[in-house]
Amino acid sequence: MKLELIDYLVIAVYFLFVVTIGYVLKKKIKTGNDFLMSNRSIPLWITSLAFISANLGAQEVLGMAANGVKYGLYTVHFYWLGAALAMIFLGVFMMPFYYGSKARSVPEYLALRYDEKTRGFNAVTFAVMTVFSSGISLYALAMLLNIILGWDFNVSVFLAAGIVLIYTFLGGLTSAVYNEVLQFFLIVLGIAPLVIIGMDKAGGWQGILQHVEDAKMHIWKGMGSASTNPMGVDAFSLVFGLGFVLAFGYWCTDFLVVQRAMISRNLNEAQRTPIIASMPKILMPAVVIMPGIILLALQGQFSGFDLPVNANGDTDYNMALPTLLAKLYPNGILGVGITALIASFMSGMAGNVTAFNTVFTFDIYQSYIKKNASEKHYLYVGKASTIAGILISIATAYIARSFNSIMDLLQLVFSFVNAPLFATFFLGMFWKKTTANGAFYGLLSGTAAAALTHGLTTAEGKGGWITNLHTFYSGTSQAFNIAWIAFVVCFIVTFLISLVTRPKAEKDLVGLVYSLTPKQKDMAKVWYKNPLVLGLIILGVTLALNIFFY
Amino acid sequence: MKKLLDLRFVIGGFFTLVGIFLSVYYILGPKDTTVNTQVNIWCGLLFLLFGIGMVILSYVSKINEE
Repeated sequence: MKLELIDYLVIAVYFLFVVTIGYVLKKKIKTGNDFLMSNRSIPLWITSLAFISANLGAQEVLGMAANGVKYGLYTVHFYWLGAALAMIFLGVFMMPFYYGSKARSVPEYLALRYDEKTRGFNAVTFAVMTVFSSGISLYALAMLLNIILGWDFNVSVFLAAGIVLIYTFLGGLTSAVYNEVLQFFLIVLGIAPLVIIGMDKAGGWQGILQHVEDAKMHIWKGMGSASTNPMGVDAFSLVFGLGFVLAFGYWCTDFLVVQRAMISRNLNEAQRTPIIASMPKILMPAVVIMPGIILLALQGQFSGFDLPVNANGDTDYNMALPTLLAKLYPNGILGVGITALIASFMSGMAGNVTAFNTVFTFDIYQSYIKKNASEKHYLYVGKASTIAGILISIATAYIARSFNSIMDLLQLVFSFVNAPLFATFFLGMFWKKTTANGAFYGLLSGTAAAALTHGLTTAEGKGGWITNLHTFYSGTSQAFNIAWIAFVVCFIVTFLISLVTRPKAEKDLVGLVYSLTPKQKDMAKVWYKNPLVLGLIILGVTLALNIFFY
Repeated sequence: MKKLLDLRFVIGGFFTLVGIFLSVYYILGPKDTTVNTQVNIWCGLLFLLFGIGMVILSYVSKINEE
């Protein structure tokens, strides 16, 4: 793939715009609240697009195309089962607690609902996780640019990190959110033409059906057993593991995405943010998964569309999208496509850094290091933690380059911590007798259960570091099963300990627990402002899509 | 400067500029026979249309607010 002047021009204009956004917004930043929370002043359409864009990182754009090649249409479960329902649940049921409690972050909600130790556990693991994720994203970007364009690894790392630093340092969360919206349009408009050209070359939908094996062109067929579908998962682990535990755990408790809804102008808009975001979300497979399926169809008809192998000698599925870009895009639009890829990496990195600086400032620094300082002081801390976050990300990128297995291990540990989290929130929000000790030890037990399950099972040669009691058909299946087991253990331990420990007084739980929170009375005045009605419409559309592509 | 705080204006400006680049490149640039260069003009015009639409939207909403 060789870029021409026109392609570099598009990339340069994009860099210029993202930096300018930061510079212009700098004038609006006066306090720590402006910098870290956008002063809860962002309009609905921006929070909604930022909500899905914060998740539209490289793992999504490259990873879902890769999954499209591996699993075919089954990949849409990550959207139609693993996103839509959870986003609606967040908007209808959970947002009133997050927004209504005036918590500035998800860990702060845990402090209000439970106690400081639960908050501390969540804040520290989240902060560490976000900066490492940001670094891994940076590493992946630099490696990709090195492989497909021959760019120097060091130049790519420092260029991308430098630009993200400039716009997040100058304009804070507002700047990150504004850029996420620009990045959303760039990713969609930059990759959508690839799908159209690819489909045309493959002979349209009929051509795809003819040249892609039938087993990959369904979404529910063969789900009765893990051995009869390309994903290697069964319906129970798919629905309970992905559709409930992982999806709800991510969309409803990960501060990286929840933060985008929490900066809305009012509660109604905060509730509608994830629901409106779910509309483009259920259509995203057309842009991010279809390239993988189109590649399969093209491989069956033309030469030159084979994927390269990685250092281990395995097929490098992550090269699915770059391969299509190189083969189908001429210079000019190729620059837009490459910029879209860079944007997805930067979007993911900025999202992580802005979530990190908020949690570090409010939940670690203000809680444990310096309480009751001035707004200006927290603004400086927020800015300093932004720089620190970027520097740690750069260091992580270099560590990942040298010790790839350490990064795999870290990601694995983070997944253990995340798996049971939704049980803690679910019980806390819907059962007033859930106690702080129950939540804390439930979380620890769920994390331990996740690690233990991984140690006792294997999939694709991974896991089984204690002994191998069971072999899963795929790594995906193992991840789904670990998730639901961790959830169940956390749920049961939290429940049992809560029965024998003293809950908080009911007056301290008003606005934090469903049964003790006054219900909104103006919900149904106008249908398009009613989160429940909007949610039901999205559910109906999602159900229809599931039936159509059965 | 105040207009730059309107995200619709910024997004519109970006896509208008990229749309112009792609359209001009299609007209003046080399015609590579191995790939479909027509995609540049179609995407260029689409981006231009989208960009101008966003800029107009930013002005229309401003008038409505006033």
